[in-house]
Amino acid sequence: MTVAVGDRIPEWVMPEVSAERMRTMAALLRDPNPLHWDRDAVAALPLGLGRRTINQGPLGLGYMVNMLHAWAGPGCIRKMVTRFPQVVLDGETVIARGEVTAVDNTGDLQLIECSIWLEHAERGILLEGEATVVRPGSHQPQAEP
Amino acid sequence: MARHPVPAAADIEALAGHRFPGGTYRIAHWENVLLSGCTGADLLPDGIAHPSALFHLPIAGSGTSIAEMFALGQAESDLSIMIESYDWEFFQPLREETDYRVEGKIHSAERIQEQDREYDRIQFCFAVSLASGEPVARSVVTWHYTRNTL
Repeated sequence: MTVAVGDRIPEWVMPEVSAERMRTMAALLRDPNPLHWDRDAVAALPLGLGRRTINQGPLGLGYMVNMLHAWAGPGCIRKMVTRFPQVVLDGETVIARGEVTAVDNTGDLQLIECSIWLEHAERGILLEGEATVVRPGSHQPQAEP
Repeated sequence: MARHPVPAAADIEALAGHRFPGGTYRIAHWENVLLSGCTGADLLPDGIAHPSALFHLPIAGSGTSIAEMFALGQAESDLSIMIESYDWEFFQPLREETDYRVEGKIHSAERIQEQDREYDRIQFCFAVSLASGEPVARSVVTWHYTRNTL
């Protein structure tokens, strides 16, 4: 796979963010926050979100992880910074997208810097950040003949 | 709506440097199966854990909890916390059924005044290593403790 600055990472789609998965995640994380499992608690907030639970940060971030893994392979992520300008809500379709911003081919490993984001068709960018992924480089030592 | 009392800025700032007890954490196979499924991913090969584990592994492993982190910052409710960012670095992939050593502390804590709101910005730092001391990952969690906003 040849990688160049400006390349788009193949998108990864979460067809429907699931309230049930949020409940499972809340138990795994031992996260007491009712935003993730109580629609009435969310509806009571002055945010106009309606009766929909809010996805945990590590879940939305996980969709971007899945995009990077599908592109560069499991275990490829070296660094990942994620910011959360908007919440992700149950029932939404969201798409993880990314773009290559820098490529370092100087070592035995190819380091690829990416801009990454999670997008909703109407609400725009929900999560955004940067990632560094690693792939075997073009300077791997050749096997002895 | 009744206003919540706002903690003294000095009490928040004094949190900087607070250290959690430290400890160990092992990602069980079942846990990784459920975590991966929650993200919509298939289980990764060779015992690699889904990287999203780098949220709860350090918190639990360092001997704290989300509830304690809320309480330390005197959150006015569980609903009042907003995420600024998660900053993760992996020196090697996380793996199932591996004992990890975790150290954690509050790196910074400050009162932020903006035009239309005030909040406390608290940054937690965690280091994950193998029992041998070999670094595995680090996690920086930055949360906003909103005050009379939500």
